[in-house]
Parts: sequence; structure tokens; C-alpha cells
Amino acid sequence: MFYSIRHVTRYRYDAPVRECVMQLYMQPKSEGGQRLQSFQVTTQPRATLQAYTDHFGNAVYHFDVPGVHQDLQTEAEAAVEVQAQPAPPEWVDASAWQALGAGEIRAEHFDMLHPHGLTLPTAALDAFLNERGLLKGEDPMSTLRRLNRGIFEAFAYAQDETEVDSPIDVALKKRKGVCQDFSHIMIVAARGWGIPTRYVSGYLYTKRDAGDRSAADATHAWVEALLPGAGWVGFDPTNNVLAGERHIRVAIGRDYNDVPPARGVFKGPANSELAVAVTVAPAQAPRRRDDFLRVVRPMVQRADRPAPATADAQQQQQQ
Amino acid sequence: MELGKSAVRLTVVSNRARPGQDAPFATYELDRAYDEMFQSDGGPRPHAKDLYDTLCTLPIAELERRQQTCEQSFLHQGITFTVYGHEEATEKIIPTDLLPRIVPGAEWDRLERGLKQRIVALNHFLKDVYNDGKILNDGIVPRDLVFGSKHYLRQMRGVAVPLDAYVNVCGTDIIRREDGSFVVLEDNLRVPSGVSYMLANREVAKRAFGDLYRAYGVRPIEHYGQELLATLKALAAGFRDEPRICLLTPGIFNSAYYEHAFLARQMGVELVEGRDLLVHDNVVYMRTTAGVKRVDVIYRRIDDDFIDPLAFRHDSALGVPGLMNAYRAGNVVIANALGTGVADDKAVYSYVPAIIRYYLSEEPLLDVVETYRCREPQQLSHTLENLDKFVVKAVGESGGYGMLVGPHASLAEREAFRAKLKSDPDNYIAQPTIQLSTAPCFVHGGVEARHVDLRPYILHATDTRLVPGALTRVALKRGSLVVNSSQGGGSKDTWVLPT
Repeated sequence: MFYSIRHVTRYRYDAPVRECVMQLYMQPKSEGGQRLQSFQVTTQPRATLQAYTDHFGNAVYHFDVPGVHQDLQTEAEAAVEVQAQPAPPEWVDASAWQALGAGEIRAEHFDMLHPHGLTLPTAALDAFLNERGLLKGEDPMSTLRRLNRGIFEAFAYAQDETEVDSPIDVALKKRKGVCQDFSHIMIVAARGWGIPTRYVSGYLYTKRDAGDRSAADATHAWVEALLPGAGWVGFDPTNNVLAGERHIRVAIGRDYNDVPPARGVFKGPANSELAVAVTVAPAQAPRRRDDFLRVVRPMVQRADRPAPATADAQQQQQQ
Repeated sequence: MELGKSAVRLTVVSNRARPGQDAPFATYELDRAYDEMFQSDGGPRPHAKDLYDTLCTLPIAELERRQQTCEQSFLHQGITFTVYGHEEATEKIIPTDLLPRIVPGAEWDRLERGLKQRIVALNHFLKDVYNDGKILNDGIVPRDLVFGSKHYLRQMRGVAVPLDAYVNVCGTDIIRREDGSFVVLEDNLRVPSGVSYMLANREVAKRAFGDLYRAYGVRPIEHYGQELLATLKALAAGFRDEPRICLLTPGIFNSAYYEHAFLARQMGVELVEGRDLLVHDNVVYMRTTAGVKRVDVIYRRIDDDFIDPLAFRHDSALGVPGLMNAYRAGNVVIANALGTGVADDKAVYSYVPAIIRYYLSEEPLLDVVETYRCREPQQLSHTLENLDKFVVKAVGESGGYGMLVGPHASLAEREAFRAKLKSDPDNYIAQPTIQLSTAPCFVHGGVEARHVDLRPYILHATDTRLVPGALTRVALKRGSLVVNSSQGGGSKDTWVLPT
């Protein structure tokens, strides 16, 4: 599938502000079955974009607006291809539990195994898991499939009940929330069972007829768990599906706070309003370059110059 | 070592200073601790004899007059610090003691070699844990300990640090055991403070005992500011000939603000707060009356967490938004580098001898105190059984906060701590109570023994250097072993002799 994604963010202030510094986690990844064809960010007021790769391998863009402004807009446009991957197995061998305990896995995935920030274990979570019978099962794959469904069934999808960075207990108490809450809850439970689990920030091409609950005009979040014999498997507890061709991955982290789509700091005594719009639309496959290019001057051997024969000459031409 | 027992109240008087009849030393008591002035037979150590003789000839009234002059000088200069956690406003004059502590040159030279070795190894360690992690892969230091440390900054992974010099200013706390050998108590690798007290103590001691100071030929330390400046300049040598340097302070409410202003003045660099700096297109600028000026080196006295609200604590108003971006891009030097706290974690401390062997293939020249890591179940139960004998410390804290001195704690305090320890064992280490050495201090109109430690300041860029001196911190309460200024300690001058 090819997608074209547009992600617009607008901050408005009720008084002039200055020296705004922003960072964006918005560039879709180019790895696994996903390929980034093009990406660009524009800002209003105009600013020079800088970029770096963070310690989780995510692309981060940042810029600053030193002057006085009252309105700041960013627009990210991406073209992405996502290829269907073989479906993960229904279950893995029971020995996977033991494999997860191996020193190398525990060392390499330290960050995705330990509580951090918004993924701290709580008594309310334990109570929830017990009440729903969501306990460590015979193998990690089927255990997580059950958890994925269990969270979907127990919680209502409701915006404005939680904040993006609410502790999990807020959603647990209300039994309502959005994708960040469900993902954090799933992460804490899975890590508690010793499964390396990470937060994924990205986009979803929503399909109502597939039973999706996610809002269509927003960013999305789900989780990925490392399962011996299956690799990193994406679980989307918001929609009770495994991540597949409709999930477009942007960034991975320990929790939401590691990879918020936009974060900024400004100076000035002002209140701010944030407006966000996201569209994910299926797109035509971009034409392959060979099809797109048209030869206007065919190669002809010129009589007055010998053909380049040695490796040296070829190299020189390339310089 | 039967250190456990030794910490009980030090009232056992094994000996009196020999010339105890001499006026100022009439109540001077020696116990099992090493004394900086007297041998165990009560006679003054050879290097301390001149000071001893001088004190015996001076009338008490004269000593009192000189002590008052010292204190007045501190008061007039505003040499203060802030004690957190007290009810009333808490800016205090740091108590200074009149009598210099004397360190023979040969002892100092050995100590200096050990400290240099230690800071070089710790810099290797920091580079490693933020890049390849070899020492973790080789199982020398447990990965959990490093990655689980609250001072380990993931944002520093893969960030290039000029000269690979992460720790540029280090204040290492040294104590003397009963046998007189020096041992490291802790490294301060983040934003060590106190060097201004070292310099201020020297000024007043020179005035109080000028003749003696000259006669001893005490090694000079007054050039510390210039040495620090040279260190900071060396860090920018790669990209700026005449770097613009500033000292970044959290502001006037910080406990060490006096020192920040003092050092900026000594070096002739700007003293700035976060709001005086801004980052534009990955470059740091300082606001001046003549417009903005590019900044190349920041000697920061703000903790990691507060230095950039975009990268770290979002609620911090002290820092500079975007500073981490400029730093990552290599456009500004920050000294000390960010994330150095992972190496002065008190649990990592116990691995420093192994760290030295691993990177330098040398034997450590300085000992460390035997340390029990409560994260290991056996060592935890050993600690719980010996709570009345041990000192228990939270691994990521400093300044004497969050610690239990077992022998001096009440039963209730110990039981409260026992619960904390059990609920979060990873966060604690335990050490036998060490008898800090004693030194003569002028208190209550006479000279009495008080426990002291030693904090030298090590500078590191292209090379590693120390000014031959240190802050000697004093536990002013009789018998107390806690020297931290935040816990009511004082300080005195340290004279390093030519030989």
C-alpha cells in the first residue's frame, strides 16, 4: 500500500511570544516492510530545520523561532509504502518464556523491559489484570493476543477523558481512554511478564468497516513486543488488531514522552491553544524512476574521442 | 578492619597530647582516629611541629582575635551557602576554622598521582557507557547499574564530547583511615562546589599566620582560576582560538551562588543565568547590551535535569531551551559534560578499582572504602543485620542527604531506614563507619580535635592537573563524622608543603 500523510499542527497564543524552540517526531521510518518515499516539513513563521537521529534510532526535526509571533504552524507531508508482512503466528513455543529470560535479551533490551515515566506498575493495573483474568499464559504470543483483546473489551474509546501523558491509573479508573493510555497499560503488563515491549508512535489508515475505533484525524500509538521466534510484533489494543499494512510507524520509545509528535518551549506570558489535523490517504504508487525518465539524447560513440578504457579514467569522470 | 565497632562515641581517651599542660591543647584528646598533628605517643608530627610551637606561644586571647578577623572577612565577602530543608531562610556564613591543616609534600604527591589515575579512568568509563558499552558487555560493571542509574542520560548516547573529556572539574572526597592511609570516599563529577572556600580559607590563613606560612614555603593555590580558565579554553581549542566562555548559574537562590560569582570574576568571564542565553539554529548566544554574542564554552553549575527544558525537565525555568541540540551538533562545549553523574553514583563507586584496571591496566593507587551493594540480596541482609554499625547511603544523592549513620542514629531512625532499605534496596549502599582523621581546631576558646576530610579539585582537558591544595572540611560537632556544609560542617585551609 502507498500512503500520503499530511500532519498539520498549529499553536496559537493569546499574547505575543518569542524564542520558541520546537522538536518534531513526524518522519515515518524506512525499515522492515515500510519505505519512506518522501518527507518534508514546512513551518510558519519560516525557520531553518535541523535534524538528528536520537538514541532509539528515530529521526528528530527541530527548529526555533526567535522573533515575536502569536501563531506557529508546522506541516509535515510524507509518502510511504507499506508492504504486507507474513502474519505473526497464533502462538509461539512455551519455551519462549525461558528464552526471554536470557541474559543477552535482558541486556540488549534493558530500556524496553524496565518501568519508566508513564509505564510504572500500579496496584490498579494488577487489580484490573486479575479481575479480567489477564494473566501470564502458556506462551507469550497468545498471552499478548489475549491482553490486546482484553484491553480493547474493557475500555471505552473516549477522547478528552485523559491527557496524552496521563498516568495509567487515570484510564484504569475511568475505564476510558485513547491509544496512548491503552498502549501504556499494555506495555506495563507485558514488561511485568518479562517481555521487551516498546511504545510506537505513528499513523493509522483507519477503516470503519474493520471495526476501528481510533479517531481518523489524529496520530496513533500502539505497542511492539519482542517474541522469540516471531521478532517484534505490533499489537494495537485500541482496535484489537495486530499492527499490519495500515499502521505507519514513525518513532519508538519507552513511552509517549520519549517520542511526542511535537514538543516545544516558548517565552512569554501567554496561554496556548493547540490544533492538530492528520490525514492518511491511500496514494498511487509513485512512478519508478526508470519509467519516469525519458531518454532525450541516446548514447552515441563520438569519433574524435576514444572510449574510456581504464578504471582510472572512469573514476575521473565520476569526480 | 574492625571499623564497625570504632564508631561508637569517641570518649575513650587513650592519650593526652604530650604537652597537654600547654595552654591551648589542655583539653585536646587523641583517640583511635589518625590525628593530623599528633603522633599516637602524643608528640607533634615533624611537619606539624612549627605550627604546634606557634600555637603554644600565642595567648588564647590572640587566637580569639585572629579567629574573629577570619570570620569577619568571610562575612564581609559574603561567603555563604544555603542549607535546604530548614524552616527559616537559610543562607549562612560557612564556618571557617583558623588553624591550617598541614599535608607533607610527599604524601600529597602520592595522592595526586592516585587522583589523576582515577579521573582518567572515569573519563574512559563515561565515554564507554555512552558509546560502545564494552565494560558492560564484558561484565565488569553490571548493565543494570548503569542503565538503571537516574543520572544515566540516554540523550548522551553517541554524542561526541570534545577531547573525550567528560569530567573537566572533579572534587573528590578523601579521608584518612586510622593507619593514616588516604582512601576515596566519593567522587563528585557533576557540579562539584567548594573551591571558592578553599581559596578564601587560604586568604584568611595567610593573614592569620603569615610568618608561619612563609617559613613553611606552602605550595601556592591562588592560580586556580587561571588553571580552570585554561582547562575551559583547551576544550574549545578544536574550533575557536579565542572562545567566549561563560559561567551558567541557576541564580542567586542557589546554595553556591557566591562561588559562581567568585569564579566568574577570577576567570574574567561572564556570569549568566539561563534567561541570558538563547539558542538559534543550533548556536548558543548570550544577550549583551551590545546585542547577542556567540558563546563557545559554558562552565555550567546547573544540574543536568534543569539545563534544557526541551530535552530534560520540562518544568524547569532555569535552563536554556535547545541547549542540548547545540551541544549535540558540536557548536558549544559544556563543562562538565552532561550525564557524568552516572560515574559518581555510590554503587558505581565500588567498581572504580575494577574500572581503573580495565581501562588503564594499572593497579589503583588509591583505595576505596569497602562497600556493600544492597541490590545484591546477600549484601542487603548483611547490611540489615549491621545497621547499627554501618553508614547507609542512597546511591544517587550527595551532600549527606538521604543517609543513615548507624552508630549515631536512634533505634527509631534505624527502623524507619530499615523499611526504606527493604522497599528499594537497589537505591542503597552500605559502608562500615570509617573513623575520619582528626585535626586541631580552634573551638570553645581552646584547641580541640575534630574530624576532617579532604576535597582536592582536579581539572581535566588535554591533560590532568591539580592545584596543590584542597578544601579541608570539618565536622564541627565533637565526635561527629559528618563534614558536609549542608549538615553544619565547616572548613579550614590546607597547607601542602614543598616536601
